[in-house]
Amino acid sequence: MLNERLVAALGPDAVKTSPEDLAVYSFDAYSDGCLPKAVVLPASVRDVSATVKIARELGEPIVPRGAGTGLCGGAVPIEGGVVISFARMNRILELDTRNRRARVQSGVINLDLSKHVASSGLFYAPDPSSQKIATIGGNIATNAGGPHCLSYGTTVNHVLALEVVDERGEVFTTSVDDPGYDLTATLVGSEGTLGIVTAAWVRLLRVPESVRVWVAAFGEIEAASEAVSAIVGAGIVPTALEMMDSVIVKAVEAAFGAGYPTDAAAVLLIENAGFEDDMDACEAAIAAIVKQHGALSWRSARSAAERDALWAGRKGAAGATGRIAPNYYTQDVCVPRSKLPDALRAVEAAAGEHRLTVGNVFHAGDGNLHPLLMYDKRDLKQVAAVIETGNTILQSAIDLGGTISGEHGIGFEKRDAMTKVYSTADLATMARVRDVFDPRRALNPDKIFPSGARCAEVTQPA
Amino acid sequence: MNVVERVEPATAQELSELLAACDRDGRKVAIAGGNTLAGMGLPPQGIDVTVATRALSNIVEYVPADLTIAAQGGTPIQAISVALGQRGQFVPFDTPLPAHATLGGTLAAGWLGPRRHLYGRPRDYVLGTTVVLADGTIARAGGMVVKNVAGYDMSRLYVGSFGTLGVIVQANLKTLALPARTRLFLAKLPDGTRARACEHVAALEIRPSAAFWIDGFHNSIDGEDGPEGRMLVLLEGSAAVVERATRELRSALGRAGVPETRVADAGARESCQRVIDAYVAPLGERSVTYRVQSFPDASEARASALHELGGKFSLRCETIVDVMNGDVVARYSDLDTRALGAKIEMLDDALHDAEPHAQVIASNHPHRAELRVWGEPPSTIDRMRDLKKRFDPNGTLNPGRFIGGI
Repeated sequence: MLNERLVAALGPDAVKTSPEDLAVYSFDAYSDGCLPKAVVLPASVRDVSATVKIARELGEPIVPRGAGTGLCGGAVPIEGGVVISFARMNRILELDTRNRRARVQSGVINLDLSKHVASSGLFYAPDPSSQKIATIGGNIATNAGGPHCLSYGTTVNHVLALEVVDERGEVFTTSVDDPGYDLTATLVGSEGTLGIVTAAWVRLLRVPESVRVWVAAFGEIEAASEAVSAIVGAGIVPTALEMMDSVIVKAVEAAFGAGYPTDAAAVLLIENAGFEDDMDACEAAIAAIVKQHGALSWRSARSAAERDALWAGRKGAAGATGRIAPNYYTQDVCVPRSKLPDALRAVEAAAGEHRLTVGNVFHAGDGNLHPLLMYDKRDLKQVAAVIETGNTILQSAIDLGGTISGEHGIGFEKRDAMTKVYSTADLATMARVRDVFDPRRALNPDKIFPSGARCAEVTQPA
Repeated sequence: MNVVERVEPATAQELSELLAACDRDGRKVAIAGGNTLAGMGLPPQGIDVTVATRALSNIVEYVPADLTIAAQGGTPIQAISVALGQRGQFVPFDTPLPAHATLGGTLAAGWLGPRRHLYGRPRDYVLGTTVVLADGTIARAGGMVVKNVAGYDMSRLYVGSFGTLGVIVQANLKTLALPARTRLFLAKLPDGTRARACEHVAALEIRPSAAFWIDGFHNSIDGEDGPEGRMLVLLEGSAAVVERATRELRSALGRAGVPETRVADAGARESCQRVIDAYVAPLGERSVTYRVQSFPDASEARASALHELGGKFSLRCETIVDVMNGDVVARYSDLDTRALGAKIEMLDDALHDAEPHAQVIASNHPHRAELRVWGEPPSTIDRMRDLKKRFDPNGTLNPGRFIGGI
């Protein structure tokens, strides 16, 4: 019945129902969910609307999905239902270079937008490491960050207007310039639980006239993290301020030969973009701080090619860990910047207790940690150790005044941890918003809000 | 006439108990910060109790090394600026009348200042909030970290909600390092140079922090006489960047045919603040000030149209064009309250025919409530009403203050 109706409305090419096709949509970059009953690939907002109406009539939940690069089950079905994939809605609809904005469909790949507008001297700032495949719609759902959101802000700072399909299948639009409540900002980061974003106006930035990238190497991870806190504490907010420890650097160098020193305990990758007039002073100020904190070396990338290689290594870091262990689990927590050394000590202690190898690669300037716990998922003891270690790291971040997700989202995997940072009253207040937009809990159910009922396996600490 | 009780709760708990009681008893509550933006929107209707937040006026936590600060909702913006300034930091809110304006009120009004094109909106600086809802619920959102995607970002919903969803009793903010150098550029803008001057300034490689083309507002801003327009540009950055920006700006204005310019470093921020204050400065009861949001490339034409409209109704029209964001602020006035009253409703209709989203941001005129002060409601107004109903089903908080009767 469901499939017939969807095929009748969207055509046979837009509906997938064979088990092997459905299986592809049952997991994301980390989590496994259930098989959906159907997957649709709409070509237009009208298709999305028709899909929602059919699903609603038949009582099927909806799971919107971008490229599936999420790490916490936000885009995987937990109780069947219909997955809406935006793979075919990937057109850049309008470009307004004078006012520096673009209108894009949800399925446009993040990096494609920057490539498309590069000839106009513009770029789209949010740059999650998955930007080569992640979609802008998915980025909006999670309010995605990335290395450069340190100075440019996360996705919400770059979304100007949204086109949304609601739980009844009706289309509505919001703009940050609308009078009244800021529905645009409320929808960004709501992980598809308040509406399905089908298109967006996003802000574009002018490509900076000058970019410099530096690498500082440290003999101890502690010194590196103290240097980060000191840079931020001095009021210096470079465009990006990333850290990688020796586990990660070795894997990156083995995989890419990106140009990082492999004999250091930790390296900082620092970028500043802006006006040439500021660059020498900025470089001198940062170099002085890292040297005060005992940096072993300080190097400036001499060419665009060198810069690109360093960044390619950084953005490919998680993938490069395949050389260390068959599987890795990425935790995502954020702490106040001055607590970075404490947070890293806690990560080391937690992993050490369970004899797990941990690699740290993260947005240090934001205090946003991404410890990668290496394991082999065929070994159930290791799986248990990873879950426990992840939970310990989560708790230590909370104890340091931090939060349970800096940029990956809550999805299915972390929803039960929401009670660790929010009171029942806090969560009930969020639920009031849900009541207005999705009273039946048909849009991406089982995500964000804690609940006892589940059918999928918990694969991630929560 | 209703006797309005005035209460100044000293803690969130006290406020919670007070609101819960009012909500239960059907008493309507107005929320007062510094009352600096009372001329925006509509006055709340049928009020029994005014809750003033001034006793909730402390900086709760300031960690300069984290670039974060937490303060109670009734804290004056200036008190926050002073504390931050002592450590070389700031928050780019650009609030009018900062000595009186409160943090909670500024956020509740969703005030949009001229530097947002560069630094972002106030809501982008809010890391977390504590809010008391109409039923007394004390709800926290976010935290003290600069990146946080744990659940809905409720703080961004409260910003700009005009106290109709809850009372902001605390907000946690992200701060920035103050720019090393600030410089003010002043130029007279004769007829025929304005459009090009605006265009050149908006296209500068080093974007000015703020740029205004001002017609009128002499008494509110600089006390200078004369009808001709003038431009005021704020440059911020390192000494090197400000020097270069100065050269480029001078050259751009020269190319636009702007004859002479004046530069001042001392008092640059204060001058910019006077322009921001002028946004909400009424001329007694004899003026109404509108704001129209536009795009930079359309603002000059819109400002001219607003002037023409003033001429049509024989009303004085003074304008401030925020060149970098494209906002146009127009203050219409007449010789006295009655003279304005005879024409203002017709002007309001004509203005909204041309600019459906024009909002009244300042007026003490007795007819203000008859004007379309919020402009045309957005297409999502029903969802907004549903949100109000879900947060404040009895209509206890600031009833009638917001758009669409919310």
